[in-house]
Amino acid sequence: MASLELKNIIKDFGETRVIHGVDLQVNDGEFVVFVGPSGCGKSTLLRMICGLEQASSGDIHLDGERVNNTRAADRGLAMVFQSYALYPHMTVYQNMAFGLENMGLAKAVVKAKVGEASKLLRLDTFLERKPTQLSGGQRQRVAIGRAIVREPKIFLFDEPLSNLDAELRVSMRSEITGLHRRLGSTMIYVTHDQVEAMTMADKIVVLRLGKIEQVGSPLDLYNQPDNRFVAGFIGSPQMNFVPVKAGENGQVTTAHGTTITLSTERPVAAGTSLTLGVRPEHLSLVETPGSLGLPVKVTEVEQLGGHCLIYGNLPNDGTRITAHCEGQQPTSIGDTVTLYAKPETCHLFEIDGQEKAVR
Amino acid sequence: MKLLSFFTATRGRQRLDWTDWLTYSYLVFGLFLMFGPVLWLVASSFKTEAALSEFPPSLLPYGQKSISVPGEDKPKPVYRVKLADGSTRELPELRRIGLTATYADPARPDELIRGNIKDRVPVREFRLATENYTDLIGKLDFGTYLWNSVFITVVATFLTLLFNSMAAFALSKYQFRGRSGVFLLIIATLMVPPAIVLVPNFLVITELGLLNSLWSVIWPAVATPTGVFMLRQYMLTIPDELLEAARMDHASEWQIYWRIMLPLAAPALAVLAIFSVMWRWNDFLWPLIVLSKAEKFTLQLALNAFQGDLITQWNYLLAMTVITLLPITIVFAFLQKYITQGIASAGVK
Repeated sequence: MASLELKNIIKDFGETRVIHGVDLQVNDGEFVVFVGPSGCGKSTLLRMICGLEQASSGDIHLDGERVNNTRAADRGLAMVFQSYALYPHMTVYQNMAFGLENMGLAKAVVKAKVGEASKLLRLDTFLERKPTQLSGGQRQRVAIGRAIVREPKIFLFDEPLSNLDAELRVSMRSEITGLHRRLGSTMIYVTHDQVEAMTMADKIVVLRLGKIEQVGSPLDLYNQPDNRFVAGFIGSPQMNFVPVKAGENGQVTTAHGTTITLSTERPVAAGTSLTLGVRPEHLSLVETPGSLGLPVKVTEVEQLGGHCLIYGNLPNDGTRITAHCEGQQPTSIGDTVTLYAKPETCHLFEIDGQEKAVR
Repeated sequence: MKLLSFFTATRGRQRLDWTDWLTYSYLVFGLFLMFGPVLWLVASSFKTEAALSEFPPSLLPYGQKSISVPGEDKPKPVYRVKLADGSTRELPELRRIGLTATYADPARPDELIRGNIKDRVPVREFRLATENYTDLIGKLDFGTYLWNSVFITVVATFLTLLFNSMAAFALSKYQFRGRSGVFLLIIATLMVPPAIVLVPNFLVITELGLLNSLWSVIWPAVATPTGVFMLRQYMLTIPDELLEAARMDHASEWQIYWRIMLPLAAPALAVLAIFSVMWRWNDFLWPLIVLSKAEKFTLQLALNAFQGDLITQWNYLLAMTVITLLPITIVFAFLQKYITQGIASAGVK
């Protein structure tokens, strides 16, 4: 039960700056996901929150109290590590009880707490086993159980599902969100998988190269990405980016001459080069009034029954286009099809600097 | 059955391939080269002193046959005697004066037979001279030597494991200025031949007043660069996340060392323990220098003491050598897996 505030956090490893001034507010009971490509500093940020790493400058406030110099154990947080970090020589029970015993709790209290947590995670029949005798999912649950017994203010998860197979990952995902609902505690979750971020988060923090790119709810990030990086990172398959030129009255023209009229948040001078973004699922084979036509030479088709994925190139500059079409489309390799994008689904980004969205 | 087929495996299917001949002759040669002296030692340790000085030597322990004669306390040696009438009989010798021996006839005890010692050969039979061993335990201070050796080995091994693992823990898991420097220094001492530090070590031990104390053998042996190196390399493979998890679990640094690191480094500790036992048990030169009182001798020193200036009691010496070899042999037999692992990981012998 706690809130967390990061103020201008900077982290240097020797000469290299890996976190460039991060400000973030995490509210009580929120499920926050840090997402970004590898090397973006998300794990480092998490380790600074839990106290395993010292921030070079900036303040970390936990429930309004500055905790920069508080030891990791005394911050009252619990961490679930990517490798689970279960003590291999201890049984499941000992793994979960280790922290409580170190806190000097009475044996009966420890037993009660471990018993409660193991029931919650359906681990009660494995308590006498060693971690090596457990499956990946069970080990994951033990790691979570070790966090739960300590009744932490905030749960920290460092890519906890990356060692599991795809099927297990899906079920563990819902197990963790279910846990969040039941316990109602604040959770911070680090992942590089945008699907995990989209499905689990109340609030997503997209990081790149040690900077926050955008903070928002999953659908906000999907619908209104602040810049081209977020637009490309959120959503699967990735958003299509088509180079365009701005004309008069909100008209933009592609390299092969098709145009669309789009309203922009900020005025864009005619002749400015921009990037038009449209998600694969918003491309359709059916023309609607006012939509942008993209003539695509098909290079690959994936028929998945319920939907199909069409991959192809635009004629002039060879820009790759992916389309996600409902149903089964009679398209084959070598065909040229026209894919249509409705104006309300199109995004526009600047091509220089931060590639900010202008629409 | 499996063992048999393993030992008789050949390359050729029907007939023996030439490589089979080569391999087996090489292996048999090696077996004799390695095992011959040991077998010879064990066999000889069961020979009497007289049998040891015999020439040509016999392979197996033979002793002169002796039987008890009525009216005599001790059993008497038996000879095959050529009698005056030309017949040969096996007779126990009662006494011998000059060249004339007196024999008793077990069939007719009151009749004595005399004969020249030229006309007889001792009757020999296969006999294990176990008195070589039993005498050792009774007569000599064997118990004291054994205790000294065991005490030094056990205590030194325990302290070696403790101190080396603490050093290895710090050198593998803590980031501090000069860490590599300290580690390099420790490793560098491997390059100093032990003979060079004998005198400085001796001076230190003398100054500390530890001369002729078992601790004078234990303390200099406790810090081994090999052990620190071996344990550190192993501890490097233990993930840091475990330590971080323990730190989050309110564990103190001592608890992390004692409850997390030590149990996880058990395989490396086992290897070091084996090495330490072998080193301390076989140690000779250093104990010889610092232990000069007989009651502080280790087994190895006692062995040495059997070789006197004028006479050497070979039968006891050999028996004691066998006893001294036993613990190491047992260690090797049961823990060879760990030993090979240790040699492979640290490159030490």
